[in-house]
Amino acid sequence: MHTLHGVPPAAEAGRRIHPLVELRIDRSAFEELERRLENNGPWDNWTLYRLAWEAEQATRIGDFHELQSLRMLPRFTPLPHQTETAKRVLHEMHGRAILADEVGLGKTIEAGLVLKEYIVRGLVRTALVLVPSSLVLQWVRELNDKFGIPAIAQKKPHHWDNAVVVASIDTAKREPHRSLLLEREYDMLIIDEAHKLKNKRTGNYKFACELRKKYCLLLTATPVQNDMSELYNLITVLKPGQLGGESEFSATFVADRRVPKNRELLQKALNRVMIRNRREGSDIRHPRRIVTTVPLALSPDEQALYDGVTEFVRSSAREAGIATAGALALVTLQREVCSSRDAVFLTLFNLFKKAEEGSLMHERIRHLVELIKAVKANTKAEKTLELIRGMNDKVVVFTEYRATQDYLMRFFAEHGLASVPYRGGMNRGKKDWMMELFRRRAQVLVATEAGGEGINLQFCHHIINFDLPWNPMRIEQRIGRVYRLGQTEDVHIYNLCTLGTIEEHIVRLLHEKINMFEMVIGELEEIIHTLEREETLERRLARLFLEAEGEGDLRRGIDRLGDVILGLSRQRRQER
Amino acid sequence: MNGGEVARFVVSFLEQTGCHIIERSPSHVVVKLSPEADRALTNRPFYWSFVDRTGAEPETMTFAWYFEPPGNAAQAGAAEAAPEALAAAGGTGVATAAFPAASPASAPAAAGPLPSAYSLPGVRVLSEHLHFGSARLHQLFEYVRQRGRNVFLFAEPPRGGRAADPFSHAYTAWLGVNFKVSSECDMKREDLYSWGISLATGVIDEKFGERLQASKMTTRLSPEIRLLKSTLTPRKAMARLEAHLERKLRRGDFTWAVEAEARRQEERERVASYYRPLIERADSEEQKRALRERLARREAEIDWQYRPRMTVSVTNCGIFHFPGID
Repeated sequence: MHTLHGVPPAAEAGRRIHPLVELRIDRSAFEELERRLENNGPWDNWTLYRLAWEAEQATRIGDFHELQSLRMLPRFTPLPHQTETAKRVLHEMHGRAILADEVGLGKTIEAGLVLKEYIVRGLVRTALVLVPSSLVLQWVRELNDKFGIPAIAQKKPHHWDNAVVVASIDTAKREPHRSLLLEREYDMLIIDEAHKLKNKRTGNYKFACELRKKYCLLLTATPVQNDMSELYNLITVLKPGQLGGESEFSATFVADRRVPKNRELLQKALNRVMIRNRREGSDIRHPRRIVTTVPLALSPDEQALYDGVTEFVRSSAREAGIATAGALALVTLQREVCSSRDAVFLTLFNLFKKAEEGSLMHERIRHLVELIKAVKANTKAEKTLELIRGMNDKVVVFTEYRATQDYLMRFFAEHGLASVPYRGGMNRGKKDWMMELFRRRAQVLVATEAGGEGINLQFCHHIINFDLPWNPMRIEQRIGRVYRLGQTEDVHIYNLCTLGTIEEHIVRLLHEKINMFEMVIGELEEIIHTLEREETLERRLARLFLEAEGEGDLRRGIDRLGDVILGLSRQRRQER
Repeated sequence: MNGGEVARFVVSFLEQTGCHIIERSPSHVVVKLSPEADRALTNRPFYWSFVDRTGAEPETMTFAWYFEPPGNAAQAGAAEAAPEALAAAGGTGVATAAFPAASPASAPAAAGPLPSAYSLPGVRVLSEHLHFGSARLHQLFEYVRQRGRNVFLFAEPPRGGRAADPFSHAYTAWLGVNFKVSSECDMKREDLYSWGISLATGVIDEKFGERLQASKMTTRLSPEIRLLKSTLTPRKAMARLEAHLERKLRRGDFTWAVEAEARRQEERERVASYYRPLIERADSEEQKRALRERLARREAEIDWQYRPRMTVSVTNCGIFHFPGID
């Protein structure tokens, strides 16, 4: 156990220099001088002696308050609200705070600034950063690259001995790590996605409470005010008693589990431990998002294939029973056929292998494969090529399907256009490499995945949605890669839309009806979260398509769904 | 430290450690390190132990260090730095024929585009930005703190005026000490004092640092110089300097400490108000004990965070001989 908090070992026992202040003296350099006098040297170089003092003057902390870290980071300019947040954490909250900015305002940067400032001031040497495992590497890079903080990702037991460690909270709270960490003292503890600590019966919560720490930052994007007891628990990790004892808190602030009372008083109490910057009214200039729907008529052979697949899906679903998982999965075929024949072929081939020899299913698939063979060109791919050639700028083409990705890259290459692939299955190093190739050498990135560990494509201003996911969060992730903090230029989003298909309905719902491409990033998450308490949006849509009796019915169904989403969105705005 | 100050600092360091400067401008330096500097900076203990054991001729590393502020650096052909940037991003083992693999190079912290990839025929040159706050400069700071701790020096005798002043060649010894004082609570401030005390008379000079700046010092005692006897041992002199410093510090402003103490008390009351009712309502003695222990821990954290304290440390110190008696 470390007991000497920041005091050099050679310092002697303290004496009072003021009724409140103990003074310690570390004179080890003088003791060395005495030894050298006795031995007649050796003596150090005069210039180095003066340089040492110059270094001391350069690194002196001349002021209790001014941020020292910024002059150490000439290559990095935080946004004004981030600097302001760091200052408030340091001076008003004394290093214990909840950072609750809305998504995309740079909570990590704020936390990094605070950590850097304490390190520069010599007030923090050891820091533990606990995050969901998917964010470990991202944090390590951010701290190293942006802040020059030599953080490492915890992988082996001895990594815990490093001064600044980033680890998955699920690993850290398990033995043997747990006891090891609870024996230590951390100058700073940072917990990302801290809303996972809200339940006080969980291991995460108990672990976070028990860790010994001097300064502590909890990061969360989820507005914790929505649940009063969760809010109380989170603050208890940080500063037990900040909102009074449990009964006092209930009496003063809780009207109902989800409804606070004495809002103003509560807000005032929260302001002492929590900072929430909002996009509205923030100092960020928002570039525009220019969304274009590109309507495309299928060629006769493509239309024949689409109709064939639709008929296959309908009849197979009727036989399996509508609303069964199997039937809903079949709708995927319709989506795939809107993307590329390669995508639908792969799925049909897998179905074929599973079906019995000589069955009706076999027959139907054989028929569809004939239709696939008849398709000679991909209308969408041709349009995409035309768009790319016209924009003369970096562009990301997103597709849901691996087969389409491969096809597109082949297609582009045949037309003399170099492109770089990106997919979820690639390891970190490969992803980085692809990203660099895209940045430096290629005009086009063809990606099947947008989520995962923060890929950052601010240098790119064009997105082509070759096909659309039915999970709006995935659409938001796609846009978020490009349209994010630091993007200074307008972003163009093209949605390819094959007319008379399932795709047309989806584009209409997402773009025209709920206008999700221009929604505030982060807003959707809350809405979808509420909506999907009963059933995922993907399932709802699939059900609509199977159950609808005719086009008009389908249209009305989708409109109703859109109205529900719009209603939730309005409700959310009113709550705020 | 601005770019110019960093450049001066670095060049001084390189000259003093016997490094070979190949090329130099106000905004950059290309240098082949001396063995001493290489050992200190390149973190190659295995290589150096190999050299030491086999007596092989050491091959030291060559660096191109750029000092400009980042605003200027960005213009000069950032795109040309592609190979470094690719390697720095850790792209390993995924080279394709179309895109040749870049050689691995160490990534400077907080890397930005380098002005240009410096190349010398047949020599691997590592390019880095060296700005205030960069890890490399920090490393130089650490080195000089370790290697510039104690000196023993003489002021050069004044030229010409040989006979004028009979005392000009009578030298007395001074103990010069550089103190760093840090005042710490949940925040921190530092003050520096460069003081000297005459070992002959016990006089304390609070402007000793300036005197040193203005003087030419040498390691050799020239034959015509006569050293006067000291009456104070360095230890006694040090005790006097410390006492002097302490008196000065006592007269200082302690508002920061009073405020920190108020925060500490407030925080302690707050956690107590949280745990007290819990302890009272606890069902068993065992629970009570556990809660009390938790409270004690929280209190210890609060003390750790807020307790006002001061530390005096000696950055470096030396014996300096000056003409005359003060």
